Amino acid sequence: MKTYVVQRLVIALLTLLGMSVVIFTLLRLAPGDIVDILFSTAGYVSPSEKQAIMKELGIDRPYWVQYLDWLHQIVTGDLGKSYRYDQPAWEIIRPLVPVTLELAALSILFAVVIGVPTGVVSAVRQDTALDYLLRVFSLAGLAMPSFWLGMVIILGLVTWFAWIPPLTYVPVGENFKLHAVQFLLPALAVGYRSSALIMRITRSSLLEVMREDYIRTAWAKGQRGRIVIWRHALKNAMLPVVTVIGIEFAFLIGGLVVTETVFNLPGVARFLVQAILWRDYPVVQNLVMFIAIVVILSNLAVDMLYGVLDPRVRYGR
Amino acid sequence: MSRSRFLLCLALVSAVVTVALIAPVSSQTTPAPKSGGVLNMMLREDLSQGFSIHETSTISTVWPAMPCLNNLVLFDPLKKTESVDTVIGELAEKWSWQDNYRNLVFFLRKNVKWHDGQPFTSKDVKFTFDMLREAPDAPAKLRINPRKDWYANIEAVETPDAFTAVFRLKKPQPSLLLMLASGYTPVYAAHVPPANYRTTCVGTGPFKVKEWRKGEFVEYVKNPDYFVKGRPYLDGLKYFVIVERGTRQAALQAGKLDVSFPGETTKTAAEQLKKAVPQLVITPYSQNVSDNIIMNVKKPPFDNLKVRLAVSHAIDRRALIAAVHQGGAVVGAALPPKPWGFWGVAEKDLAGLPGYGAKPADEKALARKLMAEAGFAVEKPLKVEIVTRAIPVYVDMASFVINELKQIGIDTTLKQIETAQWHAMATRGDYQIGANLTGIGPDDPDANYYENYACGSPRNYSQYCNEEIMKMFDAQSQELDPKKRLALNVAIQRKLEADAARPILDWKIDYFTVWPHVKNMIPHQSIYNFGRMQEVWTDK
Amino acid sequence: MAVRPAEIAIPARPRARGGAGTAIWRFVRKKPLGAAGGALMLVMLLTAVFADVLQTHDPIATDAAYTLGAPSVEHWLGTDHLGRDIYSRIVHGARVSLVVGVASTLLGSVLGGIIGLLSGYVGGKTDLVTQRILDILQGLPLLVLALVMSAALGPALHNVVIAISIPIIPRAARVIRSSVLSIREMQYVEAARSLGISHLRIAFRHILPNTIGPFIVLCTAQLGSAILVEATLSYLGLGVPEPYPSWGRMLSVSAAEYAQKAPHLVLFPGVAISLAVFASNLLGDALRDTLDPRLRGT
Repeated sequence: MKTYVVQRLVIALLTLLGMSVVIFTLLRLAPGDIVDILFSTAGYVSPSEKQAIMKELGIDRPYWVQYLDWLHQIVTGDLGKSYRYDQPAWEIIRPLVPVTLELAALSILFAVVIGVPTGVVSAVRQDTALDYLLRVFSLAGLAMPSFWLGMVIILGLVTWFAWIPPLTYVPVGENFKLHAVQFLLPALAVGYRSSALIMRITRSSLLEVMREDYIRTAWAKGQRGRIVIWRHALKNAMLPVVTVIGIEFAFLIGGLVVTETVFNLPGVARFLVQAILWRDYPVVQNLVMFIAIVVILSNLAVDMLYGVLDPRVRYGR
Repeated sequence: MSRSRFLLCLALVSAVVTVALIAPVSSQTTPAPKSGGVLNMMLREDLSQGFSIHETSTISTVWPAMPCLNNLVLFDPLKKTESVDTVIGELAEKWSWQDNYRNLVFFLRKNVKWHDGQPFTSKDVKFTFDMLREAPDAPAKLRINPRKDWYANIEAVETPDAFTAVFRLKKPQPSLLLMLASGYTPVYAAHVPPANYRTTCVGTGPFKVKEWRKGEFVEYVKNPDYFVKGRPYLDGLKYFVIVERGTRQAALQAGKLDVSFPGETTKTAAEQLKKAVPQLVITPYSQNVSDNIIMNVKKPPFDNLKVRLAVSHAIDRRALIAAVHQGGAVVGAALPPKPWGFWGVAEKDLAGLPGYGAKPADEKALARKLMAEAGFAVEKPLKVEIVTRAIPVYVDMASFVINELKQIGIDTTLKQIETAQWHAMATRGDYQIGANLTGIGPDDPDANYYENYACGSPRNYSQYCNEEIMKMFDAQSQELDPKKRLALNVAIQRKLEADAARPILDWKIDYFTVWPHVKNMIPHQSIYNFGRMQEVWTDK
Repeated sequence: MAVRPAEIAIPARPRARGGAGTAIWRFVRKKPLGAAGGALMLVMLLTAVFADVLQTHDPIATDAAYTLGAPSVEHWLGTDHLGRDIYSRIVHGARVSLVVGVASTLLGSVLGGIIGLLSGYVGGKTDLVTQRILDILQGLPLLVLALVMSAALGPALHNVVIAISIPIIPRAARVIRSSVLSIREMQYVEAARSLGISHLRIAFRHILPNTIGPFIVLCTAQLGSAILVEATLSYLGLGVPEPYPSWGRMLSVSAAEYAQKAPHLVLFPGVAISLAVFASNLLGDALRDTLDPRLRGT
């Protein structure tokens, strides 16, 4: 077990290193002069000013030097300075993190609460009208663009209630009710989508398990259906569900881009789009790295959970 | 000193005289102001370069940064028009021109304190303007200095004592006062490195920055030591960054915000808001921004006047205003027409110019005839690429233009250019035809002509160059009789349109929207100069 | 070692005998939802192909006299803020959505498939290195990678296709690889190898055809999300540029601004996106159930 974890961690670190190269390269591929883009709001930047700014920002140096510099920053925990804000990137990123994590967690919670029961019902009542209805309902969640759903929610609220959620982040400690309201709607909008995935995987893995011999035996023995489902089938069917939850959580961290924008929530994803448009490399690089780390950690967590949930899985040599 | 700048300076002498003639302000009856309350406002993007107004040219910075700072002089926040008559003192208590507009003397207020408690003196004035004009011995340097040219005529800033500052000019320039009265010209503190303004704001203004949460909001509190007694009325200001346009509008409609963003509310949006919330107060005013077509006269096929004229004839201005702006714009030539501006060509005088024929069908027929004369026909259409900025207001206008050109046999494909590359591309002349927006700071002929139509100007994107019209530019700017000058300006604008130098399609109107409890928030002739918030109060 | 569903081998089953007609009929009977999805996809495909015939107006023609018009006999789904016909724009938007969706899915799946095929067949160190490289690409959420890619490449149709296809590569490679791994050990492959048939020939002649099933499942599953990502990118202004009427772009900026006066601006493009993704998911699910023996008969 221990060696396995170490092995996985080493691989995770190498993956992150690879990601840093990909991110760094991709950003530098972007067309246009970065100084022009950063200062496009100033109208005209004279060549001498441009030279001075490039020097100040350190982007006159060769790419590999800039890259190593960034790695050094990550290792030392000093993430460099935002080009746009002229402030440490970490100071700008830090307040964004809890917003996105909370939204993602809440969305997953909704998704599980909606997705697992509907999946179970759908599997048990397979091929009935109810099954079709639930599947259509959940597939609809998967199909609707989240920005559209958010837009419709906001427009509906303002049209019918002349009200919209708070415009800035309200901390829990400050006003719990407002805080809840602020996160509830976007989390529902996003959670609906994720619930579709969870419903589908719950349904199909439950169906699969129910075909296995021991479940059939239980049925044959005359145990009541519900007990069979809950005691035996569901427990074993949860494995793939956990995987999907892990994957979906990781997806959400980046996938909240439009939801955060529409609901004006100051999270990582909304800021990322802005920073990409501004070409604020230090912020973009580190935000994407942050997302990558969350993805890798949640993958790791899923793998670890397997051992706990499924006695058949043993961590190999 | 470049030729155009020299002419500009000359011209401004007479410009100021006429600017003073702009219609006086309409009186407003309001109840006695009340103190207290917080105003909630919107931003469409976070401040770029923080509060450092001198390092930007965008309303996204000027609007939320103005309350922190003060100018020497400012266009009166309570008056709609901007002219030499409506300039009031801020940090300067009085000012006086001496030596036939060669020296401008400011008598500064005493007992003014920076937000950090330091006293304000003439040293700060000298510091700011030496930095702006990039004097050789300037103690500080801006990272970028987009309006350096505004101060090019200042030879020296002298400080005989702590509360007097003298601007010594190279040549008489009465209009300097107007530039100093713009929202773009605050005074920075000498004891604060200019770079600090990108993150914090040490000003003398009516409000102090309480918190700037990046990407989220800027919050101000009242400056209790403000040098104008009894001001500001408000206890605070809060500017929310809302990137999604629909959400911004919903927030205003839901009453979460009190004021719209300058230059953003279209006529239809305003009507929609008014329908949802009838008590909203909507004030139309000129944005001083035109839609226009730039055609590269150095490259075929637009080196051919007939082709340029065909394009201009083909575009039905009134249909464009109806479709793209839903009526929220007005026709005009190189300058905005009355009552929105002062110098423009009135609608009746536009008759006979390309694009203003009585029947759009006749105009299109004429355009097709011109195309045929230039050697193009239905079976041999002209194929061009039209460039525009990748911003909805540009793209919408370009979409309309493409459709108009299609009807006269010009096959156009649209190429969107990222904002950052747009100016460089246009200045290089790296295009054939483009759908463009031009914003002009002050409503002044010289500022416009020398920037957008003069031979050799980097902003003269079509590279149109005509010695005869250059002489007319100079003549109007030296004309002291306002009536004669106006007539000259009409002639110039007609000539520019007849030459299809840069066909102007329309002048845009902003429908500034506030909740009725917001008082003394008065839009000016330009979006850049009314953000101080010192006089604004709320009747909630 | 933990096994994820995506890595579980999906051996292809032999082709069902009988005419294509019977196969389709059986599919319709057994998978009515999937068939409905298939029918919707077919409608979308036909719409895209015959957009020029189906349109009632020029999709880029503006009409000053009829801006933000409500649905009517003349304009079935109303007009936008420039007076352009929404119905015609949606019809043409199907073309953009389908072209971008199909092209990026195919590009990503084919590239990923080839990588998966080779890495699975060759195995050993090559496989290990390939897997780690794919890990890197897969570590980033699809939308984030597509966002950065499309910002890097600039807004253009082909760039959007590339931006969306890149994140599909690792997913495709994984699926194909695992199915190759299982087929590789099968007897007929062993037999072919012992007969001295070249590796390349084995890989492409014997193994490749047997991965067709999982490949189809993969493609239909990715198609929906590709369409969705295209819409999202266009909505954020990083996608397909004007004048192509793209559904995502139809929803950006002006739609929300004028939504209260003209709700159809928001409604119809949103419904179009949802239906397209919905249909491809329905079809994808049904195909997976049919082609994936583990779930067959459920």
